[in-house]
Amino acid sequence: MPEDLNQKISQFLDNELDHDEALTLLQKMQLQSELQDKLIRYEAISHAMKTDVFLLTKSDFSTKIRQQIQKEPVYLLPQHKPFKRSHKQIAAAASIAIIAVIAGRSLYGTDQHSKVASIVQVAQHQLPEQSSKPVVYANQAAQYPLNKRINDYLQAHNSSVYTNGEANFQPLARVTAYSHK
Amino acid sequence: MTVVKRFYVVLLLSIGVASAREPGLNAQQVLVKMNHAMEVLNYQGTVAFLKNGKLEPMKYVHAAEKGIQQERLLSLNSPLREIIRNGGQISCLFKETQQTIVDHRPFERSFLVDVPRNLDDMGAIYQFEIVGEENIAMLPSYVVAIQPKDYARYPRKIWVEKQQFLPLKVVVYDNSGVPLEQVVFTEIEVKDALPFVDVKFLDAAHPVQHIHQSQPQSSDQAAFVVTALPKGFREVFFIRKPMHNTEQPVDHLLLSDGFTTVSIYMENKSAAIQSGLQSVGAVNSYSRTINNYQLTVMGEVPAETVKFIAEGIKLRDLKD
Repeated sequence: MPEDLNQKISQFLDNELDHDEALTLLQKMQLQSELQDKLIRYEAISHAMKTDVFLLTKSDFSTKIRQQIQKEPVYLLPQHKPFKRSHKQIAAAASIAIIAVIAGRSLYGTDQHSKVASIVQVAQHQLPEQSSKPVVYANQAAQYPLNKRINDYLQAHNSSVYTNGEANFQPLARVTAYSHK
Repeated sequence: MTVVKRFYVVLLLSIGVASAREPGLNAQQVLVKMNHAMEVLNYQGTVAFLKNGKLEPMKYVHAAEKGIQQERLLSLNSPLREIIRNGGQISCLFKETQQTIVDHRPFERSFLVDVPRNLDDMGAIYQFEIVGEENIAMLPSYVVAIQPKDYARYPRKIWVEKQQFLPLKVVVYDNSGVPLEQVVFTEIEVKDALPFVDVKFLDAAHPVQHIHQSQPQSSDQAAFVVTALPKGFREVFFIRKPMHNTEQPVDHLLLSDGFTTVSIYMENKSAAIQSGLQSVGAVNSYSRTINNYQLTVMGEVPAETVKFIAEGIKLRDLKD
């Protein structure tokens, strides 16, 4: 009989027992602590044989895990089921469709002209901000002669400008005022 | 251990130390050997130029045959360009814009480092010393320190490979010891021969820009005279030529102490150049006006030096 139990434990670890046999074995193990210890030993041997790595665990490792699980609080309130991914995609698509319909009606509806006018107005308000870049370029262009002259001087000074890609004949040399001590 | 064994151990250690140090080879001799190696050897590799806070890796090729040399640089990063030095002429072709620049610089010999051929006179202004041995690009090298004896110029170090005596690394420091510029090989190989390449000039649609195409002139023609110079600086080159894409001529006098160069420019007064000190990377410049002329002194020297030289310059008419 003990040999038969040992065989069952081995089959249980190899997932070779059917549901009824496994349930019977677990019920027996619940009553006999030596069977639990045997299961732990067999499991360690099986793990070491299969993976060449042996992690030594204490005999009460699984017991402590079970006790920890039992200490976990039980939630009596029904938990929210998370949305499935397909539901989220459907919801996002529906939202986009609603926005598209509302936007289309507002553009091509009875107040089409006023809405378009407001859009143009907004665009016109943005123009000065967009046109600030050319102003910056204009300022840089005003500085160009200074940097060009410094570049010309550097180029005539020695050939190191050829090995320096940045200072090399660029319209804006990196000129910084020297803070004299 | 017997006495005989001890004797052999001491003898072997002595030979090892002697071969590593090569007694009798001082810093000047290493630099002379380096100058010779740079001229006669065929070598190529990857060299990184670190200037103005920017790293510029380039392929480097030096070909030499029967006293003729060609130095070639190929940039690895944009702007892509090929720079070829044939004797005193430098050609630079920009791949992307197809712009070609031809420059004439008979007073320069290498993109890596220019060390005077005759170092005997340099002892008055520089101290040369082998300060150690280090590996650069996995090659054992002498570390030669070139320390100026005043604060008018920058110190530098050159790492010279111990077998072939090629320069593997050059660093210019400011007077507080902070590196300003570096040139360093990441890999290098010496060949028996390397091909010379032809400089390909482009068609008329892409005209060649010439820099310093004129022959040097006598500095007696300069509109100015230099009354004060740091010790060791001498006139190398003077030319009066148009600059800034105008017909307005600019006087350019190049000075050198052998390692360091300083340029003096004088042209008609312009509001474009602000007076005072400026810096571009390791290069300092000082500008001031003299009557109707704008004077600028520029070089890889401390700011005090360019200011000192600039303040000692007078118009030739005023002196005469």
